[in-house]
Parts: sequence; structure tokens; C-alpha cells
Amino acid sequence: MDYDFKVRTSVERTKVEDLFEYEGRKIGRGTYGHVYKAKRKETFATSDINKLISADQKEYALKQIEGTGLSMSACREIALLRELKHPNVINLQRVFLSHTDRKVWLLFDYAEHDLWHIIKFHRAAKANKKAVYTPKAMVKSLLYQILDGIHYLHSNWILHRDLKPANILVMGEGIERGRVKIADMGFARLFNSPLKPLADLDPVVVTFWYRAPELLLGARHYTKAIDIWAIGCIFAELLTSEPIFHCRQEDIKTSNPYHHDQLDRIFNVMGFPHDKDWEDIKKMPEHPTLLKDFKRNNYQTCSLMKYMDRYKIKADTKAFHLLSKLLMMDPTKRFTSEAAMADPYFQEDPLPTSDVFAGCPIPYPKREFLSDEEQDDKSDSSKQQQQQQQQQQQHASQSGSSNHSHGHHPQHPVQQNNMQGGMHPNYSNHPGHPQQQSHPQQNNSFNQRF
Amino acid sequence: MAGNFWQSSHCQQWLLDPSDLVRERQVDFAVVTEEDYQKLFIFFSNFIQVLGEHLKLKQQVIATATVYFKRFYARNSLKCIDPLLLAPTCILLASKVEEFGVISNNRLITTCQSVVKSKFSYAYPQEFPYRANHILECEFYLLENMDCCLVVYQPYRPLVQFVQDIGQEDLLGLSWKIVNDSLRTDISLLYPPYQIALAAMQMACVVLQKDGKNWFAEIAVDTDKIQEITRQILALYDLYKTYDEKKEIQGLLAKMPKPKSQPSRPPSSAQSQDGIQGTNDQSMGVNN
Ligand SMILES: Nc1ncnc2c1ncn2[C@@H]1O[C@H](COP(=O)(O)OP(=O)(O)OP(=O)(O)O)[C@@H](O)[C@H]1O
Ligand SMILES: [Mg+2]
Repeated sequence: MDYDFKVRTSVERTKVEDLFEYEGRKIGRGTYGHVYKAKRKETFATSDINKLISADQKEYALKQIEGTGLSMSACREIALLRELKHPNVINLQRVFLSHTDRKVWLLFDYAEHDLWHIIKFHRAAKANKKAVYTPKAMVKSLLYQILDGIHYLHSNWILHRDLKPANILVMGEGIERGRVKIADMGFARLFNSPLKPLADLDPVVVTFWYRAPELLLGARHYTKAIDIWAIGCIFAELLTSEPIFHCRQEDIKTSNPYHHDQLDRIFNVMGFPHDKDWEDIKKMPEHPTLLKDFKRNNYQTCSLMKYMDRYKIKADTKAFHLLSKLLMMDPTKRFTSEAAMADPYFQEDPLPTSDVFAGCPIPYPKREFLSDEEQDDKSDSSKQQQQQQQQQQQHASQSGSSNHSHGHHPQHPVQQNNMQGGMHPNYSNHPGHPQQQSHPQQNNSFNQRF
Repeated sequence: MAGNFWQSSHCQQWLLDPSDLVRERQVDFAVVTEEDYQKLFIFFSNFIQVLGEHLKLKQQVIATATVYFKRFYARNSLKCIDPLLLAPTCILLASKVEEFGVISNNRLITTCQSVVKSKFSYAYPQEFPYRANHILECEFYLLENMDCCLVVYQPYRPLVQFVQDIGQEDLLGLSWKIVNDSLRTDISLLYPPYQIALAAMQMACVVLQKDGKNWFAEIAVDTDKIQEITRQILALYDLYKTYDEKKEIQGLLAKMPKPKSQPSRPPSSAQSQDGIQGTNDQSMGVNN
């Protein structure tokens, strides 16, 4: 590499720390990065050093991607976000590459709220016997905008694959007040004629609570229907303030997608599917295990209707009807985002609004900064989390740093407890088995001399 | 990202004008002729192709890597980064973006070494000189210079659709190969992929003596552009009639502008000179 070229580019390059103030302002730590609430530093104009340009007061979210270099998920996040433009999908403003420490930074618009915090707020309120459920109109507006964003992604042949309340952001005060922003596209991938089976590639997929039954039964290919299931789960959670398929997470020990307790939980809510409801269930890789482990009779009395009735959502409401279409056990019968958006639920009063708070004061607290002690907490759970994060980091960025052995994947998934509290679902992390495929005929040239 | 080409970074930022290319290449054209330059790019496109095949990558990934390679040199002189280093870097980045699964650094380097030895020793008698850390460093520069535009649309998908639409499936093989050949030209920097697919298909019709006239007449398409593409591909085939790469390439590589690991002028003056051209955002980096 040319010396002058390096010098020139390093002079021209804008450094994230020169442009943004973010130290001590960490607001989130996900599996794949640290997120800071950032604002612009005051900068000098080159032409007139004495003239201060007053920094724009807008707030940003600055995400430092875990690990060093360009991991595959970082590449994909950058590649996709660079192309996406929709009001309900988080907007990537800029990428900073820090050559010295090989860190990658992504700059987003700042969203003050997210559904994880919003639901948590309502849950707490419910526990204190205060204002009970999340406002009905807000739930409808939220769902509509989530569907709108996902419809955009799906019509561009992109799957999200990690939909859960924490990844649905909502804008606070400002011109985009109360607008949903779907975030965290690290897992999102193009799925138009995937070059290899997706299950081989990225072993960590949708959080268990939001995982569609076909995934738990070993489906090898992801579909739009998997995202729709997760949206159904989020819808139910908004209506009741409880994760509908809440499940203990302690015994996630296996690299197998099959997860007995999570399936048990789903059947306890939904009932055990009849063959006529889901004909292809017999074709699922884990169907034999299912037959061995489960008895239909144990779930005879269970149904979504009964479950929702406990939360005063009656079976004859449009909300319930739509929910049941999103939570179809058979993926082929599940609604598409398009069908869901056309549902009568959205034509009935109150109509969805572009500000999900509909102009009302926002009761939810602002994001708090995480203190450094909190991050270095010595509790077991946080240690486990760190351990897992290191493993995932190793997995995700194996091409990004040169000093660890390649081809090594973590063999044992470690439970992850999110430090924010017990509601955060866990991941299991298991090794993928990339199988190289060759496509020899495709590379030929017409002119034989090439 | 199918179906969204018109809003893509590819369409909006990376369909260049031929005059852009000529302007950016003036520095290199002072050292090598335009024809030499083209021959060098044919050589490195082949290198990327062979490297990709040895890594068992799909043609789509190889094509994307080749476009990355061209994009970098559409904005930079050959002397900025040795193309022998940039080529495997493009392969690495494209394989991550096109979700082929990560190629380990070791495997990439070993494959480069063995490919250089077994297939390209006529050009590079010495060993492949780079290590993983060179490639990883280079990857940041590549991404930065492409302005983080990683999704590249290729002619293959539209080609398959057109061939189905015209109802002559036996056109696919030949037109696919012509599209592969077009990667040795600047075409992928200049024309949208659907036009490249149409040109390749039309050429295949001529070679195979198929009648596609009605179909081509029906679809509303800029025939001038298709002709331009066809002309450039034919020019490539013409060039190959008289060009013996095995004989000439060492001379060309020797002439090629090369990176210097030492400053060509004192770094302090280089810094302040270049810094002045920066915009407001960049002023903080100067620090003088
Ligand atoms: N644009 C934003 N505005 C405000 N907060 C954000 C923004 N993006 C992310 N966050 C916060 O940071 C957290 C982590 O971000 P993100 O989900 O992108 O990272 P992640 O590592 O992929 O997390 P995970 O995989 O655990 O969901 C989010 O849950 C959210 O609380
Ligand atoms: Mg997240």
C-alpha cells in the first residue's frame, strides 16, 4: 500500500471522536455492539478558525460494533442499511471506520423509546395496580407501522429474523415523534435465492420467545412467515404486557434448534396443532421428536381464545381475529404483511396514527446512561454474558482479527442474561457447519481463451 | 435487494460516465497506455476469477468482487494499492456480503499462494507476498473508497428472467458466458445490469442464429446503449486475437505504477497541503 495514499486518506478521514461527543453516554449493550447517545461536537470552520459553528443539537445513536474489523454481520448490516430507505426502518446516517483500532462505528438517528421499555413500563404500572393496559389506539398504530416497515423489507427480499420488542424503536419528541423504527438489522439478510441454506450460516437466529414453531421443529430455511410470527408475538405482548410465549431459559443446552420447553409453552397457549391445521408438520425434521415428547391430550383445553380472554381480549374483536391470523401455527396459512395491513382492524376506529402517541404526552422515561460499573458488574450472569459475547464475537468476527484460530466455533451455548432485567430473552449460540458447494459450470467464459 | 435497482446505491452512485473514467485514469495513463491499462485489468479480472473458483465461490460472488475491484480503481491510481493485494481483498469482502460464509484468513492466503504458483507463475515468478494483516488493512480502505456501497446488482438474475420470457432457454448458457466475459471490461461500471444482460442475450441470438427480433422490438429499451455494450464486448474479443498475455504480462506488470512504502515528500508538508482541500467535517483531522 502506498505511503502517500495512506497519509492523504488519513488526513481526509473524519474521526468519529472528533465529530461526536459520546464518552460516558452508553445507552445499550447488545450482542453485537455498544450503543451510545451521541451529539455533535462544536467544530471549527476551516476557512475561519475564529468562527464557531454551533453544533447541531440533534441526538444520534452511535453503535460501536463488537470486535474488530469487518465481521460478516457487520458487513451485512452496512450493506443492507446503506440501501434501505423507509420511514419505519432505522436510517443509517454514516459509517466511521477507525483504522487505528480497527473499530467500526455506525451512526443512526436517535430513538428515545423502544417496545421493550414501553412494555416494561406498562407491566410495572399493572403490578402497582395503576393504569393497566397499553392504550388500545397506540397498540394499533405501533402494529401498523411495524407491518409497514416489515412489508418494505419483505418486498425488497430482506428478512429481519430477529424481531423482538427491544429491536422495535420509537422516536421521542421531535419531527418524527412517535414513529416506529425497526432496528438491529445485523441478522437481516437477502433471502432471494440464498447461496446456501441459511441455517448453516448464522446459527444464532430469532430469540426463543419470538421463534416460530417451524424453526423450533428444525426448519432449515427462513421465510417471511417467521418474521410475521414474531410480529404476532409482539402484538400479543402489547395487548397484554406479558410475553405470550414466555418460557424459562435455563435449559438451553443444545445446539439443536429443537427446544422442548418453548414448544410446550406454545402448545399451552395455542393448543396442539391438528394434522388438518398444519399438514406439512409431518415433514419437519424434528417431527419424530415431537411425537415422542408430546401428547396431544395434555393440551386439549388450551386455545389462543382462552389465553387472550384472560386478558379481556374477546374472541369477537378485530384485534383478536388479526392476532390469530398472525399466530397461525402453519407458516403457509399465516398472514403476509400485506394482508395484515389490509385487515379490518386497521379500518375500525380508532384509526392508526403516524405519531403512535397521537399527540398525547409521552409517559415513558428517557433512556438512561449505563454506568461503567454496571458494565463491569461481577455478578455471574454478567460474566456469563461476557463469556457468551466473547464467543459470539469470535464467531462473528473470525475474519476480522487475525489472532485466533479459524474454523473454531463455540461448541456450548452459554446462557445470556441481559443485565437490564429478566424480560430479555436469551440466545443460544451453536456452531454452524458451512458446507462449501461448488458451481463449476457457472464460471466459464464464452471465449475459450480466457 | 431484488427489484429495487433504481433506488440502489449501485444505480445512484456507481453508474459512471465514460468521461469520469478517463479523467480519473489520467495519472495512470501518464505511465502506461490505455491499451496496457486494459490488459492489466483483464489480467487481474482473471486472477479474481481463478481465485474465486479455487475458493469454490459462486459466480455471483466473483462478479461482485470484480466490480469492487473496478470501483476502487475508478477512483484511485493503480499506485495507491497493489492490485495483487486488492484482488483477494475484494474476494473476501464480497464473500461476506453475498453471504457465502466467511472465508478464513488462512484459507484465503493459502489459496492465493497456490493459485499464484500454479496458475500465474508466468506473471509472478515469486511467491504471493501478502499476509492476512495486509488484506484486513486493505479491506478498510476498499470499503471506505466505495463509500460503503456493498450491494452490487449483477446481470445474471435479469438474464435468467429474460431468457425465460423470450422462451428460448438454450440461450442461457452462451449469454451467461458473455456476461462473465463482460467483467473484463468497464461495462459493469457504466451500464445497468439489465442492459448488460440484454446485450449478452442479443449477441447469443446472433451466434446461435436465433430469431429474437420481435421480442427485442417489443421491450422498450435503449438500443443505443445495447449497441455500445456489444461493441465493447466485441472489442475485447478482438483484442484477444492479437494479444498473448503469457508473453506480455511481465512487461506490463513491470511498467505498472506501484505503491511506494516511503514518503515521496516530507509527510508534514504532505499533510498540510492535502488538509486544505478538506471540508468542514475534515478540518479537525488536520490539527496543525
Ligand atoms: N437508533 C437508536 N436509538 C436509540 N437507542 C438505540 C438505537 N439503536 C439501538 N439502541 C439501543 O441499543 C440497544 C442495542 O442495539 P442493537 O439492538 O442495534 O444491538 P445488538 O447488539 O444487535 O442487540 P441485540 O442483538 O441484543 O438485539 C437497543 O436495544 C436499544 O436499546
Ligand atoms: Mg437489538
